Amino acid sequence: MASETTLTWATVAPAIAEIYLAIAVCVLLLVDVFYGEKRRGLTPTLTLAALALGALLTAQFGAVTERVTLFNGMFVADELGHFLKLAGFVFVGFALLYSRTYLEQREILKGEYYVLALTALLGIFVMVSAASLLTMYIGVELLALSVYAMVAFDRDSGIAAESAMKYFVLGSIASGALLYGMSIVYGVTGTLSLDELAGQLRGELSAGVILGLVFIVVAVAFKLGAVPFHMWLPDVYHGAPTSVTLFIGTAPKIAYFALALRLLAEGLQGAVAEWSQMLAALAVLTLVVGNVVAIVQSNLKRMLAYSTISNVGFIVLGFVAGTPEGYSAALYYTLVYVLMSLGTFGVILLASRKGFEADELDHYKGLHARDPMLAFVMMVLMFSTAGIPPFVGFWAKLRIIQELWATSHPWLILIAIVMSVVGAFYYLRVVKLMYFDPPGELPATERNTGARVALGLNAAAVVLLGLLPGPLLDLCARLLH
Amino acid sequence: MLLTLIVLLPFLGSVCAALLPANARNAESWLSGVVTVACMALVASLYPQVADGEVVRAIIPWLPQYGLTFYLRMDGYAWLFAMLVSLMGALVVLYARYYMSPEDPVPRFFSFLLAFMGAMLGIVLSGNLIQLVVFWELTSLTSFMLIAYWYHRPDARRGARMAMTVTVAGGLCLLLGALMLGEIVGSYDLDEVLAAGNGIREHPWYTPVLVLVLLGALTKSAQFPFHFWLPHAMAAPTPVSAYLHSAAMVKAGVFLLARLWPVLAGTDEWFWIVCSAGASTLLLGAFCATFQRDMKGVLAYSTISHLGLITLLLGMNTPLALVAAVFHMMNHATFKASLFMATGIVDHETGTRDLKKLCGLRYRMPVTATVAIVAASAMAGVPLLNGFLSKEMFFEESIIAGSESGLRFTLPAVATLAGVFSVAYSVRFIHQVFFGPPAEDLPRRPQEPTRGMIVPSALLVAACLLVGILPSRTVGPLLETSMRSILGPDLPAYRLAVWHGFTVPFYMSLVALTGGVALYVLLCFRKKTMVPTPLLSRLDAKRAFDVINVAIVRGAGRLARFLFSRRLQTQLLLIVLLALGVAVLPFLVTEWTRGDMPLTPPDPLFALLWIVGAACAIGAALQAKFHRLAALIMLGGAGLVTCLTFAWFSAPDLALTQIAVEVVTIVLFLLGLRWLPRRLAFDTVDRQTLRARARRTRDAIIAVTSGIGIAALSFAALTRPRQSRLAAFFFDRSVEEAGGRNVVNVILVDFRGFDTLGEITVVGIVALIVYALLRRFRPAPESIGVPRAQRDDVLQGALPERLDDPLPRGYMKIPAVLLALALPLVRVCLFCLLLPGPR
Repeated sequence: MASETTLTWATVAPAIAEIYLAIAVCVLLLVDVFYGEKRRGLTPTLTLAALALGALLTAQFGAVTERVTLFNGMFVADELGHFLKLAGFVFVGFALLYSRTYLEQREILKGEYYVLALTALLGIFVMVSAASLLTMYIGVELLALSVYAMVAFDRDSGIAAESAMKYFVLGSIASGALLYGMSIVYGVTGTLSLDELAGQLRGELSAGVILGLVFIVVAVAFKLGAVPFHMWLPDVYHGAPTSVTLFIGTAPKIAYFALALRLLAEGLQGAVAEWSQMLAALAVLTLVVGNVVAIVQSNLKRMLAYSTISNVGFIVLGFVAGTPEGYSAALYYTLVYVLMSLGTFGVILLASRKGFEADELDHYKGLHARDPMLAFVMMVLMFSTAGIPPFVGFWAKLRIIQELWATSHPWLILIAIVMSVVGAFYYLRVVKLMYFDPPGELPATERNTGARVALGLNAAAVVLLGLLPGPLLDLCARLLH
Repeated sequence: MLLTLIVLLPFLGSVCAALLPANARNAESWLSGVVTVACMALVASLYPQVADGEVVRAIIPWLPQYGLTFYLRMDGYAWLFAMLVSLMGALVVLYARYYMSPEDPVPRFFSFLLAFMGAMLGIVLSGNLIQLVVFWELTSLTSFMLIAYWYHRPDARRGARMAMTVTVAGGLCLLLGALMLGEIVGSYDLDEVLAAGNGIREHPWYTPVLVLVLLGALTKSAQFPFHFWLPHAMAAPTPVSAYLHSAAMVKAGVFLLARLWPVLAGTDEWFWIVCSAGASTLLLGAFCATFQRDMKGVLAYSTISHLGLITLLLGMNTPLALVAAVFHMMNHATFKASLFMATGIVDHETGTRDLKKLCGLRYRMPVTATVAIVAASAMAGVPLLNGFLSKEMFFEESIIAGSESGLRFTLPAVATLAGVFSVAYSVRFIHQVFFGPPAEDLPRRPQEPTRGMIVPSALLVAACLLVGILPSRTVGPLLETSMRSILGPDLPAYRLAVWHGFTVPFYMSLVALTGGVALYVLLCFRKKTMVPTPLLSRLDAKRAFDVINVAIVRGAGRLARFLFSRRLQTQLLLIVLLALGVAVLPFLVTEWTRGDMPLTPPDPLFALLWIVGAACAIGAALQAKFHRLAALIMLGGAGLVTCLTFAWFSAPDLALTQIAVEVVTIVLFLLGLRWLPRRLAFDTVDRQTLRARARRTRDAIIAVTSGIGIAALSFAALTRPRQSRLAAFFFDRSVEEAGGRNVVNVILVDFRGFDTLGEITVVGIVALIVYALLRRFRPAPESIGVPRAQRDDVLQGALPERLDDPLPRGYMKIPAVLLALALPLVRVCLFCLLLPGPR
């Protein structure tokens, strides 16, 4: 095989993001070994610079005009992948920017954290560009292992260790399921390549393929956090340090979208009738459980975990539609959701102080009086997440509903709308707490200017994309036409 | 472009207002005043075009690919409402300037008020259904902020939340209805929707669309059974009530019903649903209003009742009733806003709104009293005022519609009864507050308010009078233009006049007036005994709302406890069970078959080996919790069996690799063991209960079933012919491309050279980890204590003080000697292995 391929710039350039990131990880690791202890701020700063450079390089050299498969069918480069990688750079950059003070105050501002974040990002990229079952699996594991370590990063925290342990054990089972499903599919079809798989799976499907598919769907559902495979999510969101919750709540969602898209929508396209039924059942459960259970949470992080679950229900609904338009709605929803949860967790990070995790709902009482800017940003984000126009969250929900409509799923629409109403209930409760409840004796919020500017940009994006949703909607439609 | 400006101006003003300092009351009101008056002027300037029957349009591409444009259109009907909204806005701003006290943070108030006005204008002028819903929800949001303006008051917070929940939920229903309408028509464009009336009415989705749109409209307009939010929203500052709850927001619902009237009305479904909602609201509101203690409560229920009247008219399916409905929308807005303002004045000057405490204010506040009396008379339907005209029309329509639908007596009776109550509460409202002996124990000493507060109210009352006396000169043309835009050029014959002769409606009015006064007198005699609303005081929808609220929260809590466990064991159990369940699914359709490959004859020795291996694995699982070392040893045993299996099937290289991995893993485990925390002591009694046994048995069954399932799958897979394209590839090319005959070696060194490098790296990293663990290894004290030679060293200097320092020479002598002996041997072995090489 080796003799048939020659490496030229043209065949390597589309993978520049991955190659660059792998090198950057090594370099940062070495820099951190030698200088990390002496100069605390070095690795974090370098990481941000590395992300910026990576985004530039990817934008400049990584673009492709059409879908190409490289590295012996292991790697696919298309416009969607290119865009998602750029988005990954930006989202991770913002996540790390928000986290810095938080980490510093808890004395866990260590180089490893940043290196792990970058390896996780590398895992995301690998998943985004996977053209074969194996590449996909490697991406999944790379991301998962980095994230397990990040959850356990605060080694003195018992609850973090507990969450990491649970995450690891349950995650391994999911990985096992994924691998199992992949090997069954491989066993039946004899190919690992997603393109070939799509070509082979036509007409009547054998029981073997369906069995493999079931396991793959289970794994995808687990990774996304769809009910009933959601158990890990509230524990991990709650137990992990908030900066890590922010991280896992954002960029990896892109990867899981790519996981579902590449595996189900592209590779197992021939089984769309089967998996869309499975996903529909999952989506209904997810919407109901996520929204209803979120109502009783008193911990904001846990509430947001359930909110994530319910939003995942919407993303899954986009896949249920089973059309390119449906996937583009799901992509739009994913991006919008990541943007909003980035901001939400950013607010939590800024509201926390040393020795004080602002993670209970009661900690937000009267936030408006203590910090109008944070309260305003949070209000915008909550309204948007609740799907109230004119914020961007509304368009995301609308697009999903439109696509369900176009593929005639009236019952799913009904459930989605009813559950949005239930959802509005707990999002608005946060707003009520911030604006209408008397502020108690709570520590002042964090005044880090950089993070605040980033947060302002984040909220502005939510508002602007809500007022002018056209460009991003167009883009999503074009990427998945 | 002017149209865009009309909608945009309030929002710009809102942003500016939010930026002004907290105490800039005058600047705020000037800004808001200018914005509202400018809007009004802009709307007014478009009248000539609109009056010619033209539709003014402004189209900005917004989301063209999804059929959405930012589309504003103004026809006669939209003009009328836009005028109402901006005119009321201007008056309310003027009123609020004097109403708000200097301590109130006014930027928030004016900012949200202007935003609300923008959203309201957006609803009225939207030429696109989705855009209308967006503005619709925006009014809910801003009204939430306005109702909760005094957020330190719990009733304000509750009222705001309730209003928001109900109206936002209704808005979502409306959204769904709009989406379905768009799907039926093929466009969200209002022009096209309005032109597709027959298609919509005959479509199978008509009923769901109707129900959804009605849910949206009825929640917004506080119609039974969703009326309960409005009285609670009265916790808002009075200017807000005057604006939102008389003129603007609550009118949005009936506005929409009239807007979609040509499309949705004309069917039996429409008649029955809308009329029954309207009629029940009309009666219920009027009845409750008669027994309220709070002045604003009276007005709130009376608003509900009047909105019910409008809804009832809209439901009657005749063009004439539609005219009456639109006319009454305008009339109600004028007199109700003026009454709200008067109530605000009373509240502002006396410090209370309690009808029981207030008395004889006409002596101290003659102007306010006059204004309020005229406005209340309009509300009661006294001749020569605008309320009388629309009420006459209503009575007439109720007779016509009643005779058409077989409710010949019911509808007129309902209308008259509501009229009686309406007169009764109007009289009560005026009589209790302004007549009688002057009240003594008021919180503040009443006096006439500043001119700024009385002028808006008086202007509205003047409008009531003007319209009431000269209807065809004043409001006639406006009404005609607006009706043309809904009904088309052929308007039904209606006559706006004060005197129609001695007709049945006139007698009905007469009955209502006398009956109302009589009812009030009757109530006065029995005043002591009836404080809360009779019959209905226990039937409070607000309580139902709360009960549902609490029930949802409790239910969610139960669901959460049922579905979630923090125990990993439970979570694992669930996931394994689910995986097992879904894995069984495909086999319900087809059955499990083994392949056709012949089986290898069983070898008893190999079977024994596997039995040992399986026993080790099970033992490891059993002991993992109680004895770590034993579990590890058994794990090693299981690993060893795997190695032997490889060796058995002639794969020595795999066996070697496996054994290396096994050894390294076990060593790492052993080194890691001592960092683990102490095991928890287990209560053995607990393990013996029936429950615990049952649980363990259940788990065992699940584990065994899963294992058998996986084994069965592997068996099915292994007994099928293999597709070994890969092996053939390597056999074909190993000699030709790599020049080696040992295919495994060729793969390792040539074809997969990079992989091998990676594996070596991994081994290197593992070695480093082992080194790091060993370097910090401290033997247990009792094991150090024994060798005499070491005992002294332990105390001083044998082990370095700092962890990073190298160990002293001579430490761990025995392993070092062993290694020195073994290394040459190893080298020889390695060299021997290297010699044959791949070639």
